[in-house]
Amino acid sequence: MQLTYLEAIRQGIWEEMDRDPSVFCLGEDIGIYGGAFKVTDGFIDRFGPERVIDTPIAESAIVGAAFGASLTGMRPVAEFQFMDFIGCAFNQISNMVAKAHYLWDAPAPLVLRGPSGGYVHGGPFHSQNPEMWFVHNPGLKVICPATPYDAKGLIKAAIRDNNPCIFFEHKYLYRRIKGEVPAEDYVVPIGKANIVREGHDLSIITYAAMVHTALEAAELLSKEGIDLEILDLRTVSPLDREAIAQTVKKTNKVIILHEHSRTGGLAGEIAAIINEEAFDDLDGPIVRITGMDSAVPFSPPQEKHFLPKLEDIVREARRLKAY
Amino acid sequence: MPAKKKSATKSHANGNRSSEDSGGSNARVGTAAPGSQIERSSTRTYSIPDTRLEHPDLSVHQHRDPKTDEVRYEVTGNLNAPVPPIRDSKYLDKKQCIEIYRYMLLNRKMETALENLYKQGKVVGGVYFGLGQEACSCASAYALAKDDWFAPMIRNQGSLLVRGFGASVTMMQYMAKADSPTRGRDGTSHFGDLDERNMVSPISMLGDLIPVMAGVALGARLQGRDVAVMTYIGDGGQSTGVTYEGINFAAVQNLGLVLFIESNLWAYSTPSEMQYLCQDLAERAIGYGIPGVIVDGTDACQVYDAARDAVERAHRGEGPTMIEAKMMRMKGHAIHDAATYVPKPMFDFWKKRDPIARFENYLVKEKKWLTVKENADLILEVEQVIEAEREIAVNSPMPTPESAEGGVFCEDGCHDIKPKYGMPKVKKGTGGFKETEAAVHLK
Repeated sequence: MQLTYLEAIRQGIWEEMDRDPSVFCLGEDIGIYGGAFKVTDGFIDRFGPERVIDTPIAESAIVGAAFGASLTGMRPVAEFQFMDFIGCAFNQISNMVAKAHYLWDAPAPLVLRGPSGGYVHGGPFHSQNPEMWFVHNPGLKVICPATPYDAKGLIKAAIRDNNPCIFFEHKYLYRRIKGEVPAEDYVVPIGKANIVREGHDLSIITYAAMVHTALEAAELLSKEGIDLEILDLRTVSPLDREAIAQTVKKTNKVIILHEHSRTGGLAGEIAAIINEEAFDDLDGPIVRITGMDSAVPFSPPQEKHFLPKLEDIVREARRLKAY
Repeated sequence: MPAKKKSATKSHANGNRSSEDSGGSNARVGTAAPGSQIERSSTRTYSIPDTRLEHPDLSVHQHRDPKTDEVRYEVTGNLNAPVPPIRDSKYLDKKQCIEIYRYMLLNRKMETALENLYKQGKVVGGVYFGLGQEACSCASAYALAKDDWFAPMIRNQGSLLVRGFGASVTMMQYMAKADSPTRGRDGTSHFGDLDERNMVSPISMLGDLIPVMAGVALGARLQGRDVAVMTYIGDGGQSTGVTYEGINFAAVQNLGLVLFIESNLWAYSTPSEMQYLCQDLAERAIGYGIPGVIVDGTDACQVYDAARDAVERAHRGEGPTMIEAKMMRMKGHAIHDAATYVPKPMFDFWKKRDPIARFENYLVKEKKWLTVKENADLILEVEQVIEAEREIAVNSPMPTPESAEGGVFCEDGCHDIKPKYGMPKVKKGTGGFKETEAAVHLK
């Protein structure tokens, strides 16, 4: 059936709660209200208030309590109303949860999920892509789906995973894209990237909302004979090194595209991986297209300037093709 | 400067909130029947029970010497107040008192052994002492049932002994040995045990254990069990925001958190007078809507009684309790810290209140539950146990360098995670999955 990106996530969590009584949800306004974006709409009626818990506004307590519950063998799914607020729980995530298995052999099978990303005029505190803070933190898995199929498959995989998974749902995609989602039970493996468009001339490595902008650019550029291959990372940590190497070996030219700001961003990490895995296969410099090094501004013309645009991709692709 | 005025405290408990009929779960808010009122604590009597037999009026303040310009701490108050007797326990019999006393001796002797190991260069990093706090660590943990959970802080090494970890475990942690519970990956009391002793590992940041322990109780309750979850926080540590978030979460979710606030008067070099303004930290319980009680942290009987009452409340599904145990940290923050900032008269005052000396006097002289010889034999036995544990720890190997690798993730079936108390019994509503409408303001 055709589902929106949001409905796919919602169905994924619903199915997991249906099949596994150890799964439960906690977060702000997720109960009777159904969540700020309605991801848990109807959950409290179906699963009861014990399993769909409205918490106080206390992100450190939300993460801490989720971790504690996971120590008793439960599988909590904790929601951040906006992933911008994940910073409020930074110490719990970084020092309590991420290190637990390595230090004292305690697995933390919890999922931290919530809406991230811009293009909705949300301003600096409702538009962030904070994933890099957690990519840089050993012990966490960081997942950023771009399609309804992947969103459902990956949220199910994350809930079943014995490790702490941070699941970033791009809010721009929530109700703007629809895709084919099977009715039967399936998972998408964490840590595996996906070729969403095969091509020969150059590769774009990207994820989340930028995948769709890259596809738009590919359409445009195909008319001038530039054939883009697009690799959707799907999981941002651990990165699929093999898939990254493979696409570079195939096209020999690569653009790395991400919405979050430039310095210390994922493109730097991927460029280093390409250097390690496929240096000899490069026929041109690694190009990166990223957000600016600033907070995400509020006013629409400013936000448009901050974020990567279709024109940026088209321009850089033409430049790199000609190199 | 005048000493802080202590108001008389009443001895009746502040109002107990009845748990609502919740159809199987004790989440008062979550499962309250539709239409029924949530009871809120609205007592304005502001009384916190205080079981102490004395109320020290000591007060620390900064003082600048007019001649030398040196700024030092000074203590005022009645430094000559007589040491009160141990308060008879409501629950403990002779055998149990002697058991607690023995744990306190083990605690003290283990830390002496650690100090010696440090001086012999066998310890990696520093050593943290709970000197003067043995009654709090041991008597509190003694009140836990086997299925309860606990999470010690750095100075609660006595609680580890009560819960069944040998002294060699703590020693191996400090010496970073391969056979430590963390295989050398962390030191001090930073380890856990999810299988047998239900222990959650602390981290170095303070207060973070509190929401975690609340979560443990939440997870257990979802599996149909009301367990007590005990943890500790210092008068310094409780200043953090996560402390507030954790206690409040436990309170509003009615979780069985037994929280010991160890008011040992010094947070590293910072006296409690510079840490908070309220008279007694237990007063904060009123703000959270939970019962609070003040006990003498150097009196094992008082500590035990408060812990026992709180643990039983937790088992009955009646929610959290805050216990403020008053005592003093009798060494520096860690072994490197001579604590010269502490006014010497304070050390003298609290040394007279040494928990082990007080309990020994109680058992031997007052209750006559131990003869002088039995006491001497007990002390000797404890010393022998510690010596044997020390041998085990010292002779165990250091980890290999490569042992640093692995275990970042739980992969390849390294843990089979299942609800500890059995799969939760869930009741599902009949509604099927229906697509939703976007919330208006976020379209």
